[in-house]
Amino acid sequence: MSDRQTAMKETRRQVRPLSSMAEESGQILLRLEMPGVAKDGIELTVEGNELRIRGRRAAVAPATRYVLRERMDGDFYEVYTLDETVDRNRIEAAMDSGVLSVTLHLREAEKPRKIQITSR
Amino acid sequence: MARLRWQSDVVDPLAEFDRLREEINDLFDLPRVPNVRGLFDRPVSPAIDVTEDGEQYAVICDVPGLAREDIELSLAQGVLTIKGEKKAPKRAGGARLYREETWQGKFQRTVALPSDVDPTKVTADLRDGVLTVALPKREEAKPKQIAIQAN
Repeated sequence: MSDRQTAMKETRRQVRPLSSMAEESGQILLRLEMPGVAKDGIELTVEGNELRIRGRRAAVAPATRYVLRERMDGDFYEVYTLDETVDRNRIEAAMDSGVLSVTLHLREAEKPRKIQITSR
Repeated sequence: MARLRWQSDVVDPLAEFDRLREEINDLFDLPRVPNVRGLFDRPVSPAIDVTEDGEQYAVICDVPGLAREDIELSLAQGVLTIKGEKKAPKRAGGARLYREETWQGKFQRTVALPSDVDPTKVTADLRDGVLTVALPKREEAKPKQIAIQAN
């Protein structure tokens, strides 16, 4: 099932979290802000070339009377496409105060292999 | 607001003007809602929701990444002020930044609540990056059932 179809199966609204992406010393550091999501609400999966991050949090009670409403209701969902330099076996994630920090380790690029030409 | 009027066969033009004036006055009688724009509020600040039920008001503020000591909460004359600083994430010197959607820095939000809040009963809870402030209404302000005496 395509990613879009999977996301559409969810009946709850999906919201993109605010994020930042930085690279330092052979690692990619992702920070995703998901206020209201606890550690057990996080679902991190790697499928093929995609890193899928879902953050579930409690829905607002339907009868709530709002005087002012700025925050969005919904679960958080984000997808990243990984290339071959990302080591899929070394992905680390930590959750603290509603912020998910993901560390992706990059493989060193393969050194160019010289091919000998045999002469006749 | 409709007034109880006696039906009359004769249309009284003066009464019509009176009615129009009353209705325009009612139009500008805005409902009592909290004023949520303070003079010293910062332009970039966390999103808040303000909800109300019979028992209390609740102010819910998204503050991901913040700890208790980063936030200052105060209530004075019915005005709730949420102040603090959202610090930038620590990065190594040689880091390359590809994307930055999050904001950082000092922030301040103020919410002016109706005077029927009991300031001694206010509680605040910080969990998973969400600050929830519960402001119970004074006893007199809670909706009460009025018993109808049967005669």
